[in-house]
Amino acid sequence: MDRTVEMTKQFVFKGASQMPMISVSLGHMDWNKTGAWRAQRPFYEDKTSPCSAACPVGNDIVGFIQKITEEDFEGAWNLIREENPFPGVCGRVCFHPCESKCNRREYDEPIAIHALERFVSDFASNLNKKIRKGPGARKNKIAVIGSGPAGMSCAYHLAKLDYDVTVFESSSLAGGMLRTGIPSYRLPKDVLDREISNIAELGVEIRTGIPFGEGLNLDGLKNYQAIFIATGAHRGRDLHVPGGKGRGVFSGLDLLKKINLGRKVTLGDKIAIVGGGNTAIDVARSVVRLGKKATILYRRSKEEMPAFGEEMVEALEEGVKIRYLVNPIRIQQKDSLHRLECLRMELGEKDESGRRKPVPIPGSNFFFEADNVIIAAGEEVELFFLPKGLEKREGIVLTQRDGNTGARGIFAGGDLTSNQRTVAHAIGSGKKVALAIDCYLNGKDSEEALRQILTGEGPSISMFRYLHPQERLMNPHVVTFDELNTDYFEPSRRQRETKDLIKKRIKGFREITSGFTEGIAMEEAERCFSCGTCVGCENCYVFCPDASIIKIGEVLSHQVDYDFCKGCGICFSECPRGVISLKEEAR
Amino acid sequence: MKKVITGNQAVAYGVILSRVDVISAYPITPQTTIVEELSELTASGRMKTVFLKVESEHSAMAALIGASTGGVRCFTATSSHGLAYMHEMLHWASGARLPIVLVNVNRAIAPPWNIWSDQSDSLSQRDTGWVQLYCEHNQEVLDTVLQAYRIAESVKLPVMVVLDAYVLSHTSEPVEIPTAEEVDAFLPPYCPEYTIDTQEPMAFSTIATPDHFLEFRYKIQKAMEQVPEIAKKVNDEFRSRFNRGYGAIERYGKEEADILLMTSGTVTGTSRIVVEKLNRKGYDVCGLKIKRFRPFPVEEICKEIKGAKKVAIIDRNLSAGVGGIFAQELRASLYSREKRPQIFGFVSGLGGRDITPELIEEAIQYTVDHPQPEEEILWLGLKK
Repeated sequence: MDRTVEMTKQFVFKGASQMPMISVSLGHMDWNKTGAWRAQRPFYEDKTSPCSAACPVGNDIVGFIQKITEEDFEGAWNLIREENPFPGVCGRVCFHPCESKCNRREYDEPIAIHALERFVSDFASNLNKKIRKGPGARKNKIAVIGSGPAGMSCAYHLAKLDYDVTVFESSSLAGGMLRTGIPSYRLPKDVLDREISNIAELGVEIRTGIPFGEGLNLDGLKNYQAIFIATGAHRGRDLHVPGGKGRGVFSGLDLLKKINLGRKVTLGDKIAIVGGGNTAIDVARSVVRLGKKATILYRRSKEEMPAFGEEMVEALEEGVKIRYLVNPIRIQQKDSLHRLECLRMELGEKDESGRRKPVPIPGSNFFFEADNVIIAAGEEVELFFLPKGLEKREGIVLTQRDGNTGARGIFAGGDLTSNQRTVAHAIGSGKKVALAIDCYLNGKDSEEALRQILTGEGPSISMFRYLHPQERLMNPHVVTFDELNTDYFEPSRRQRETKDLIKKRIKGFREITSGFTEGIAMEEAERCFSCGTCVGCENCYVFCPDASIIKIGEVLSHQVDYDFCKGCGICFSECPRGVISLKEEAR
Repeated sequence: MKKVITGNQAVAYGVILSRVDVISAYPITPQTTIVEELSELTASGRMKTVFLKVESEHSAMAALIGASTGGVRCFTATSSHGLAYMHEMLHWASGARLPIVLVNVNRAIAPPWNIWSDQSDSLSQRDTGWVQLYCEHNQEVLDTVLQAYRIAESVKLPVMVVLDAYVLSHTSEPVEIPTAEEVDAFLPPYCPEYTIDTQEPMAFSTIATPDHFLEFRYKIQKAMEQVPEIAKKVNDEFRSRFNRGYGAIERYGKEEADILLMTSGTVTGTSRIVVEKLNRKGYDVCGLKIKRFRPFPVEEICKEIKGAKKVAIIDRNLSAGVGGIFAQELRASLYSREKRPQIFGFVSGLGGRDITPELIEEAIQYTVDHPQPEEEILWLGLKK
């Protein structure tokens, strides 16, 4: 057979003697445009990972984890700081809803995203990789009231948008609840200082010791084109029981503030803490570190406890006692001793929070004795100093979705405007307001701008896409576990941060967990499924039976050769991470 | 060098000496010790072979189809259900004209469950386009593997070498093992006509429309028709090099006789003794061993029938509804002859029951005593 015959069409032989021994192609098959048979069309389309969609801050989690796998830690840092000025804080204290939604949870164990974020932040600090910005022409002046996570996040993003930002803080040190509310065994002060100073280096002026409503009011801020109020919720909620304001009875937030600012506290040996939230746990673990015995009294059961699970475990390890279904109704004081008259409770119907309501058991009164009683029954917004004209309801300031209060140029956010009082929500809120202020000052529709840059279904947003609308395009669809092809993943253990021995932990306020080493971080990052984001595994290229996946040089082009793609869908089903989509061809 | 080895070991020696490049197989009794031996030789590095472990016989043959298309010499071994499971791929191997050699150890097909000798497994595959060669003893097994590659690679058709379960597979006999140099001189490396070449890419086994399909099948038939001549040439060369050989058929006992006893596989070994004994007693009988079943040696048989009036043929297999398959093929072969002997088609030894000298004698006696068979199927040793 002459195999050099130029073959551009289908062959018809005259007889067996002309035919080859077997049925083989003698020329190329380019003439056969099999793409014409296609009923469905595959195409590449990055989609949203469930972790990013769940992140109140709007971090590009898959993005920074992939950078870690490439050993590009600085790249990971650059990606994180596009959205979040507080990775060192979040990597330590965030309740990481990203991990709860991680698809890997359904396979073996979720990725330790918080630990990877902490790793990146610590890595950057060790290399002294600070955020720097050249002196650009400053645009409008913006005032931010409150230097907590919401205020500082807003200031950070506004500074990056070239605004001239001044932050006013009532306390002597910046940080808000991050500084006063979170004990340093969870969040060391140097980490917080580092991240605040990174923000300050962008040109943000932080003026401390200026309480809003006292020395400072709206009149004094007339030179500012927009104002962001993020004063938080710092007032401990009263227990409203007889004796609840007596001597030796303290608010949990106040006590934490004193301890965290290094002030002297005087306490007896046996401490009763009333409440079941994170503040109760923080107080209990702090007083244990001061050498006291701590007992938490909580009126519901363990399941209803709002405190984060891991911190409860750590508290119990450190010797904190928790008594469930107990509610103080009276605090009697005799000398320095307090007698808490309590009722035992049982769980009734579900209330509006979806938790079962505690109902007192009549006649179950008993007494609990303690030297001090700390009330940690929630926090409230201090409203009296706020400017008039702000709409308030049920203890919070009402705003539109973008933080607009309705008063011209005045925005509000953070704990002040929400009952979802986490660090991550506050950071996300500050970011959203930064964007809203930018829209406001440029006459843009902030509602529409927000809609364009939602991560998944929202509510979190991507600042990157606000600034670069045509880059890293992503379908808002959130990739589910069923959409992955897990044949290409192997089971592996989640890496865990090491913790100090309990004995050592309770001796002081040193941070109890140690971050990942580079090796461990990369191992953990390798576990990431990278849901919805192509990592160039080339399964599509390898499996395509029609050689229709186009590479340019050695790199996937993410283009399909539709002249030949028959639409078999193998690329779609063999993609481990759901990057390829199929759509029906129009007929 | 002479060694006392089993039939399965003889297969393994044949494979080593053939310098097979790729082996892929799945274990099944009574074949297992063949691939066990080969996998150990491969693992220890004594044999330079790629051994592909697979999850089924279907995959074993599929893997070899890929490897053989890649232009290398391939081997697999199986039995019974394993061979049946390969069925689709057996067609593929012959259709793609791949000179793969397969050793099948004859075993009955269940149910009832049975692991003993019976030709139904290989004969069920008679229409798959494979050359089939049946062996009588362990020496023949080794030698047939070597010859099989020469035949297969000459006509570009796959070859199945068949031996009886246990009677050969697990029974030791003295076997002369040729040296590697001797075999290398007899069996040159495989040179494929078509092969995978990244410099000159081709699609294999592409579609052939009704315009061409018939012609491809015609070519396979033409290749089959070349087998008798090529196999004879190969055997002649083998005989000149090794001083022994095997025809497609072999007559033994008298030069010519009224009664011809036809057998295949190890039954032939027993028949040789019976024929010799009966000749001494004055019976006019001679024996005919059939080694090659596909293509069926029509011309060779017609030549050897000479003046025989009756043919007694013993089948260790059954095509239900027809009878013994060898008998069926023989009848078809003789139909065009002017003088046709009477065919006495005996069916015996299914599922590994021994076909003893007494049973064979009984078959010959019946043939002597009857001018023609009373029934189409003569059950030998049936317990009614």
